[in-house]
Amino acid sequence: MNNIFDRIKYGTETIKDPLHNNEFSYGKIIAKENICNNCGECMSICTVGAITINIGTNGENIVKINNKKCIYCRNCVDICSESVLKMTSDYKMAELELAGDKLREKIYKIYNRSLVLRVVDTGSCNACMSELSALHNTFYDISRFGINVVPSPRHADALVVTGVVTKNMKEALEKTYQAMAEPKIIIAVGSCAYNGGIFKDGDGVYDVLNNILPVDLVIPGCPPSPQAIIFGLLKLMNKL
Amino acid sequence: MKIEDTINNLRQLNFDLKYEVKNNNELYVRIKSEQIRKIALICIDVFKFNYICEFTAEGERPTIEGKEFIVNCVFSNSKRGYYVIWSYVTEKAPISLENIIYQSNLFQREINSDYDYKVKEVSGTDAYQVAVGPVHAGIIEPGHFRFSVMGEPIENLEIRLMYKHRGIEKQCTNINANLLNLMFERVSGESTVAYGEAYAILVEKLLNKEVSKEIKALRIVLLELERMYNYMDDLGGIANDIGYSYVAKKFGYFSEIIHQLCERVSGSRFMRNGIVPLGINIDFNEKKKKDIIETLDSIKARVNSIIKMSFNAVSFLDRVEDTGMVSTAMAKKFCMTGVVARASNLKYDVRLKFPYELYKEIKKDINIETKGGVFERYKLKACELKDAFDFIEKALSYINKDIKRDKQEICLKEGLEAIVSVETVKGELVVYGLVGKDNRFNRIYFKTPSFTNWTGMTEAVLGEIVPDFPLINKSFNMSYSENDR
Repeated sequence: MNNIFDRIKYGTETIKDPLHNNEFSYGKIIAKENICNNCGECMSICTVGAITINIGTNGENIVKINNKKCIYCRNCVDICSESVLKMTSDYKMAELELAGDKLREKIYKIYNRSLVLRVVDTGSCNACMSELSALHNTFYDISRFGINVVPSPRHADALVVTGVVTKNMKEALEKTYQAMAEPKIIIAVGSCAYNGGIFKDGDGVYDVLNNILPVDLVIPGCPPSPQAIIFGLLKLMNKL
Repeated sequence: MKIEDTINNLRQLNFDLKYEVKNNNELYVRIKSEQIRKIALICIDVFKFNYICEFTAEGERPTIEGKEFIVNCVFSNSKRGYYVIWSYVTEKAPISLENIIYQSNLFQREINSDYDYKVKEVSGTDAYQVAVGPVHAGIIEPGHFRFSVMGEPIENLEIRLMYKHRGIEKQCTNINANLLNLMFERVSGESTVAYGEAYAILVEKLLNKEVSKEIKALRIVLLELERMYNYMDDLGGIANDIGYSYVAKKFGYFSEIIHQLCERVSGSRFMRNGIVPLGINIDFNEKKKKDIIETLDSIKARVNSIIKMSFNAVSFLDRVEDTGMVSTAMAKKFCMTGVVARASNLKYDVRLKFPYELYKEIKKDINIETKGGVFERYKLKACELKDAFDFIEKALSYINKDIKRDKQEICLKEGLEAIVSVETVKGELVVYGLVGKDNRFNRIYFKTPSFTNWTGMTEAVLGEIVPDFPLINKSFNMSYSENDR
């Protein structure tokens, strides 16, 4: 009875458009052109080596930030004396890899409308896992898009991997992959999964996911917010 | 018993000791390897110290046979708030503290890199094994559980972890001290702020400096916000495992509200790179203060009513009461910490025993429960959650002016060492740091709360049925990531 009263009193909690602009979110780091003086401070402070500075055709310095490597700590933005770098609130950074694009067409010809996921954590810090479980709360309610998490790899269309692949988890990851039915999609959630992130040089780390399995969708972030994950998944499903 | 008394007492017992007191509350004593068993016995039985951890000073045991290495064995006096670190040199394996300290073998196994698991066989009619993992059937971290079951009740549970071992401790020695907070924060995602705080107070202790009162108060706000969303997730998780979906979903929603508040305050849903040594990396103003107060006010009454709703549901109480019991004696034997230990009547909270920041003024007493079951853990988590609302309110009253983002360059002197502890969401986190060359650490050691608490769960499930295991697991809710490191 209490449930019903509570429900009537507070109404619906789910938001209509989970992909609304969120001005507080962290997002893509962009570089302004033509002002960088190539002091190299940002490169030295970046723990994951996501920043490169090249010299362009006219002699100007072009700063490039690899979004898939970045852990979004903002240290480079703070240290830049010329304020070349700026953090935007654009969380829509998920990218399809080339193979994923073809696979997507194939899959959505056969079964459109839904996407069934199997989640494997191979060495993350658990933040990505928390965000993945946050997708199921009443605020985002991911199942209305036809996206579900299943307990068996046999039932899954896509394998979601979080974290860098450790030596001890390599076998489990490969077995899960082999247990899935064709065609299979691999989704890397978080910068660690795709590029190793901050754990790349660890002693117990085997390799990054990108070198082990063919990754089809990368959702960068540390951890990617539920909004970013929803954006990536909907992009994969061609629902944008 | 003060630090000096400890030394005098040991002198009277005819121990010839070389000692040094550092950072006011750390006693470093060098002993011979054959003395450690005797001293451990005295520490536990006579001085009533708490056993904390054992680790090698070099990071790992040398691979060459016969090469000497140092083993540090840490105890703490929680009444007076100091640590005692006994260190001895040995050539072979570390001296076994068997029959004195039960949990010592966990740490020694780590020192010896001995991860051969032998599963205990249970034989008889109706005896069988259930193997679960390492990849679980949901959004959970990897770990292997082996249940030995006789008919219905669980007779034995073996937990095999370390699937996620990345070698974080060793990696910490390769990163400049100015950037190391990023690595600390990623040891365990859900305790991001607590780990950041541990690094900040470690460096502040090494440099013997303090931050202003406003920054201290803001740190408490962040720490308690983190406690909030974690306990909300835990309470929701317990309700979810019982099948009480209304309560589960509502707690999930509250946790999302807090996450979004964190995002508005610090720019990251997990408040990453917020607490830095000697300062804070967040601009804080009147607007944000108002936002925090308003958001918390808007959900406070509702959180209380949902907690009450679960207490009033008979089907809920039927599942949680008298499930997954851990007795006080067992909790003490397993060196359990945090909420899980307090639910078993162990009166220990780092926020009071080793107070950091402003907890001395804000926190007055320790919440405990006596029976040590799932319901007690649920009640205690609900109680800590209610406390968190009060602490944030109190801490915010200390902040009366805007706080500017303040990140200072730190420069550490070689050879300094310190040990600090922080109450994370899961329990007591102890971090040891030894500074090396080039502003880097030579050794970082984490004694994470989950490391010892996992053993508590093998005790809690005994005699329960397998379907109750997820419920007990969720009521403990330990982190695999910080255990594996």
